[in-house]
Amino acid sequence: MTGYYGRPIVKPPEWTALIPAYFWAGGLAGTCATLALAARARKRHGLARTLVLGAAAGCAASALCLIGDLKKPQRFANMLRVFKPTSPMSVGTYIFSAFGAASTAAAISEITGVARPAGRVAETVAGAIGPFMSVYTSVLLGDTVMPAWHYGRKALPLLFAATSASTAGAVGLCFAPAEERGLARRLALIGSIAVRVALERLHRELGDVQGEPYRRGLAGALARLAAGYNIAGALLIARNSEATARGGGVFLLAGGLAERFAVFHAGKQSAKDPKYVIAAQSYER
Amino acid sequence: MSGLVIDLLAQTSAQAQAATYGSAERGRKGFFTDTTLCIGCKACEVACKEWNELPQDGYRFTGMSYDNTGELSGSTWRHVAFVEQMDERNRWLMESDVCKHCTHAGCLDVCPTGAIVRSEFGTVVIQDDVCNGCGYCVVACPFGVISERVDEVSPQLGETRGRGTMGKCTLCYDRLKAGDEPACAKACPTASIQYGDVEELRERAKSRVETVRGHFPDARLYLADGNDGIGGGGSMFLLLDRPDVYGLPPNPFVATERLPEMWRAAALAAVAIVGAVLVASVKS
Repeated sequence: MTGYYGRPIVKPPEWTALIPAYFWAGGLAGTCATLALAARARKRHGLARTLVLGAAAGCAASALCLIGDLKKPQRFANMLRVFKPTSPMSVGTYIFSAFGAASTAAAISEITGVARPAGRVAETVAGAIGPFMSVYTSVLLGDTVMPAWHYGRKALPLLFAATSASTAGAVGLCFAPAEERGLARRLALIGSIAVRVALERLHRELGDVQGEPYRRGLAGALARLAAGYNIAGALLIARNSEATARGGGVFLLAGGLAERFAVFHAGKQSAKDPKYVIAAQSYER
Repeated sequence: MSGLVIDLLAQTSAQAQAATYGSAERGRKGFFTDTTLCIGCKACEVACKEWNELPQDGYRFTGMSYDNTGELSGSTWRHVAFVEQMDERNRWLMESDVCKHCTHAGCLDVCPTGAIVRSEFGTVVIQDDVCNGCGYCVVACPFGVISERVDEVSPQLGETRGRGTMGKCTLCYDRLKAGDEPACAKACPTASIQYGDVEELRERAKSRVETVRGHFPDARLYLADGNDGIGGGGSMFLLLDRPDVYGLPPNPFVATERLPEMWRAAALAAVAIVGAVLVASVKS
């Protein structure tokens, strides 16, 4: 038997399903805000409106998931009593707060038509923070001792960026006026291809042994589901067709969500079997 | 440019001045757990639970050995590992495990509320009234020491309820404050658990391993100098076999040490998002 009667050496996360949902919604929101700036620049105001609202909604959903997962949600504000560069969750809290304020202000201005110039400034701020909003959660996972996350720490940011792009594009595909979808469709396509590239990199970084948790059990099933959704979504939007755009968007949103859950469960699985910790630490150092 | 800033920030943790741990008059305190002396009586487990008002683990039967405690957790701060080696060595190994009070502590680094602090004794302590139960420390600890603390609701039925905050050994912070030694060390009948100044314990551990090497060729020290991935432990151990045999990581590390390269990868990924958006917005 490996290790001490096969018992885990490190503890798997006590996080619930709200945490991968928080990754998904926050990632999507961040890239929505950035894409909104491009839409605005190209005078696609209908698409920009969709994305600005999408960014605010995604951010709000993400915040609810994160706070909901705390074991003492009423103490959420304790995260704001310190700033710790050594904690990606602390750094993330400030990225999140700034993005949340900017994207919400932009959305309120967009809906009510009040203070439009200020709203545009808020939109720009949100769009600038957006990419960091999309990727900081990958650093949050890398900075742990869960083998499946830590040993994929340099590839995970690209995977999170790619799923953020495909899902943000999908928001535009699903909710924007048909004649303005082009931008969103192209980003969704780029994102869905980038997901494949990122996964390839992730498995190369992890190697055979450490990549195993991503292929086995629940994580493996979720990863295959994600791949299926992602490919189906990409095929549906590959041709610029009115009929399939929404369907493709829905598939990509589901694919992104499944991918986040796959990563989450791979980390859990890699903690539950001590062989991953032992294998990594026997050749490391 | 950003790389330099990131490097500087990360150094606040990884290069923490271990030498300055502990107040001037008290110094850094810790444990030396000498497993050659452990008889597996679990008095340390009981003393710890009594003093810290931690609930019982219930009548679980692991079926694997005389160890029915299983692991360290938010409510079990000392755990006696019991290894049966029924091969040609034909022996029992016993080891009282505890929080390592790392020099570079992953839990302390990642705690986003500042609930986890370095005390004036150089120990790592969770402030129960600040912790919001985010659970980041659980996955940052290379030894699997931390989890949610539970309270006993009904002692008769063994019912427990999550407290909502994380728990682990405090090295009996309250007892140290009063000038006393931790409950486990006080209760240990064989001096397998020794409490004292970390510097002095390191010396003691070094000479002890030399003494016992004749009887136990595989005897080794664990976390007893600064040359490991956590910069040495406030808790150190004399082991009689490989660390993983006791359920300890062979080469523990603090993930924060590698934070700069992670932020660099994240910055590149963020740039990739901007690039993708720009490419998508080129008029076709």
